[in-house]
Amino acid sequence: MLTATLVVGGIGAVCALILGISLVTFAVKMDAREKEVMDNLPGANCGACGFAGCAALAHELTVNPDTRMTCPAVNEKMLQAIGEILGRDMGGVSPVIAAVRCRGGRQEAPVRYEYVGPRDCRSAQLIAGGPKGCGYGCLGLGTCATVCPFDAMVMGEDGLPRVITDKCTGCGKCVDACPRDIIALVPKTGNYCVGCISQDAPKDMKKICSVGCIKCGICADVCPFEAIVSEKGKAARIDQDKCRKCGLCVGVCPVSVITSRTAPEKARIIPQKCKGCGICEQVCPVEAISGKAKEPYRVDPGKCMGCGLCIEKCPTEAIERDNT
Amino acid sequence: MSAFKGGVHPPEEKALVRDKAIETFPLSPLYHVLVQQHLGAPARPIVKAGDQVKKGQVLTEPMGFVSVPVHAPTSGRVRDVGKMVHPVTGLLSPCIVIEADGNDEWADGLPLERDPFSMAKDEFLEAIRNAGIVGMGGATFPTHVKLSPPEGKSIDTLIINGVECEPYLSSDHRLMLEEPEKVIKGTKVAMRVLGLDRAVIAIEGNKPDAVRVMKEKAPREIQVSSLAVKYPQGSEKQLIKALTNREVPSGGLPMDVGTVVQNAGTAAAIWDACSSGIPLIERITSVTGRGVRDPKNIRVRVGTVVRDVIEFCGGLEGAAKIIFGGPMMGIAQFTQEIPVMKGTSGILVLTEKDTNISDYSACISCGRCVEACPMGLIPSTLSKLGERGMWEEASKIGLMDCIECGCCTYVCPARRPIVHFIKHLKALSRAAASKKKGA
Repeated sequence: MLTATLVVGGIGAVCALILGISLVTFAVKMDAREKEVMDNLPGANCGACGFAGCAALAHELTVNPDTRMTCPAVNEKMLQAIGEILGRDMGGVSPVIAAVRCRGGRQEAPVRYEYVGPRDCRSAQLIAGGPKGCGYGCLGLGTCATVCPFDAMVMGEDGLPRVITDKCTGCGKCVDACPRDIIALVPKTGNYCVGCISQDAPKDMKKICSVGCIKCGICADVCPFEAIVSEKGKAARIDQDKCRKCGLCVGVCPVSVITSRTAPEKARIIPQKCKGCGICEQVCPVEAISGKAKEPYRVDPGKCMGCGLCIEKCPTEAIERDNT
Repeated sequence: MSAFKGGVHPPEEKALVRDKAIETFPLSPLYHVLVQQHLGAPARPIVKAGDQVKKGQVLTEPMGFVSVPVHAPTSGRVRDVGKMVHPVTGLLSPCIVIEADGNDEWADGLPLERDPFSMAKDEFLEAIRNAGIVGMGGATFPTHVKLSPPEGKSIDTLIINGVECEPYLSSDHRLMLEEPEKVIKGTKVAMRVLGLDRAVIAIEGNKPDAVRVMKEKAPREIQVSSLAVKYPQGSEKQLIKALTNREVPSGGLPMDVGTVVQNAGTAAAIWDACSSGIPLIERITSVTGRGVRDPKNIRVRVGTVVRDVIEFCGGLEGAAKIIFGGPMMGIAQFTQEIPVMKGTSGILVLTEKDTNISDYSACISCGRCVEACPMGLIPSTLSKLGERGMWEEASKIGLMDCIECGCCTYVCPARRPIVHFIKHLKALSRAAASKKKGA
C-alpha cells in the first residue's frame, strides 16, 4: 500500500514538475490586453469581421494599431470597453439590421412543385430554379436562419423568416447565404423597406403571389426626398442613404408592401426655446406641426413620422427627437 | 472482360419499350424550339415574329466556337420569339414558336445529294456544326468541338457509345436495330474526320440482338464490343476504362488519353448531316415508365410539346413524376408544357411506387456508396460536407471528379440525396470562383 502510494505519488510529482517547467519555458507570449479585448467581443466566431474568429480579430486589433474594428456585431458598450483597453478610438457601432424583402408565405405565394431534397434554399434553387411559383420570392427552407450565428432569425409558420430585431447585429451572413438576394441590411431605427423584389409584370405576378409590389410607383411620387427608386418593371426600392424615415410611402402603398419594424423617433418642440418663426411648419412634409406666429409651435405625434427635417431647419435648435 | 470499379445493378425495366418498333410522331400544329439546346456559348435568334420558315432552315446564329444553331422542325410561320420553361434549367428561356403550315416543305436545296467521302476534313466539321449536332446521349455538348482535338493531342481510338445503361430507355437500342447502316456510316465519317482507321462500337450485353445486327453490318475496321451489364457502363470515363483500360486523369477529358466517344444517335445524325445536309430536327426517344398508358419509342421533331407526346402514348395513368432522360441521371420536370430537345433521350413517367419520395436521415457510415462509386470517391463524406456547405474541404477530396451518375444515392439505405448534396457543393464552389474572378 505504502509502496503503491509512493510510486504513484512520485510519478505525479515528476509529471507536475515537467509540466510546470514547460509552462514557463514554452509559454506563448501574448499581450495581456488581447484576452481582455477577446472578452469584450461577441464570441460567436461568425467570421463576418474578415478574420478567422473573435480571437483572431482580438489579436489583430491588439498587435496592429491600424486594424479597424470590423466586427459588425459589437454594441456601444463593448466598443467603449475595447477602446479603453487599447487606448484608441474604435469608431461607432454598425447601425444596421437584416430585413426580409418578401411577404409571400405559403398561403400568399404557393409553390409550383413539391420539393424533396436537402433542406437548404441553395440546394432547392438548383432544382428548376426553386419550388416557389414566384422566381423572386422566399424559398422558405430557412438557410438564413441556419447560418445566423446570433439566433436572430426564426422561421415562421407561414414559411417566411422573421428577424428578431434585438438580437440581429447586421453581420450580413444571411444576406450572403440567401440564393435569391431577398435579405437586405437596413438602418436599425425607422427601417423602411419594400417587402418585395419581384421583377415580374404586375399581371403575371398576381397569378403567383397576392401580396407583392405591383410597381404602381405611387410611393416614389409621394416621397419628398426622392429616396424611392421605382424603375419600370421592377419592385420599388428604398435608397437607405436618402430615406428620412418620414413614412409617407407606407400610408399610400395600395398593397401595404412597405413596412417598418421599429418605430421612428418623433420630433418634440421645446417651448422655452421656440421663437415661433414657423419654418418647421413650412418644411414638415406631413403637416404635423401647427401653431401661431411668435408663440411656441406644437408637433402632433399622431401625424409626425420622424423625418427630422424640422430639426435641421430650426434656427434656434428648439426641436429634438423624442426618445421616450 | 475488363470493367471499371464500382457501379450498381438497378432493375433494367427495358422490357416496357425494348421490343416496340419506332413510330413516327405526326406533325404538330405548333413547335416550341428552344434557342439554347447545347452546352456552351449561347446562340442568337435570327428570325422574328411573322417570318415564313421552311423545314431545316437555320433559326439561330451561334455565338462562339462552342455553340451550334437550331433549325426549323417544319415549314410554317414564326408566331413569336418568346419564352418557355427549359427542361434542363427549369427557368423561362428564349424559344422560337413556329406555327406549322402542314406542307412540311424542305428549305431550298435540302436534302442535298452528295458523296460525303469526297469531302475534306474541314468540310465535314463545317457540315456537322451547321447541322447543329450535339451529343445526343443527354449532355448536348457540340459534336464538332469533340471532333476537333486541339494541336498536340493525338487521338488513336474512337468509341461509338451504344451502351445505353440507363434503366427504362431503349432509344439507342431501337436505332441500332432499325437503322444500323446509319450508325455505321456515321462512324466511318467520324473516323475520317479524326484520321483513324478503326473504331469500336460499344453495346451493353443486355442487347444481344443489337450486338448481332451491328456485327453483321459492321465492316472489318469497326469492332463491335459487348460489355458487362453494369450501371454506369455508358459513362464516358467508365467506358474508356472498360474498353482500353486507360484512366482519364482527374479534371481531364477523354482526349487526354487519346480517345473520343460519340453516342450512337450522334453518329446517325452525323451521317444525315454529311450525306444529305439534313440538320438535327428530329430524334428517337423512348416514352416509357408505368405512369404512361402505352409506352412507345417515337421519332419526334425537336420542339414538340411533351403534353402532346404523352397524349400520343395514351396519356398519364397514376403518374407521380416526369423525368427527361433516365431515372438515374435524368431531370425531373414540374410541367408538361416543355418541348422535346436535341438531348431528350427519353421521357420517363414514374408511378409513386417507382419513385423514392421520402425524407432522408443522417449518414450511418455504412460505406455502401463508397463501394458503388465508379469514380473512387467517398460520397458519404461529400454528402456530410454538403449538409454544411463546406465546399473547400470537399474540393480536396475530389468534389469536381464526381460524374453525378447517382450510384451512391441509389444504394444509400438512409435515402440521402447524395448527388443533390454534391451538386449543391459544386454550385457553391463555382459561385465562390466567379466571385473571386469578379473581385
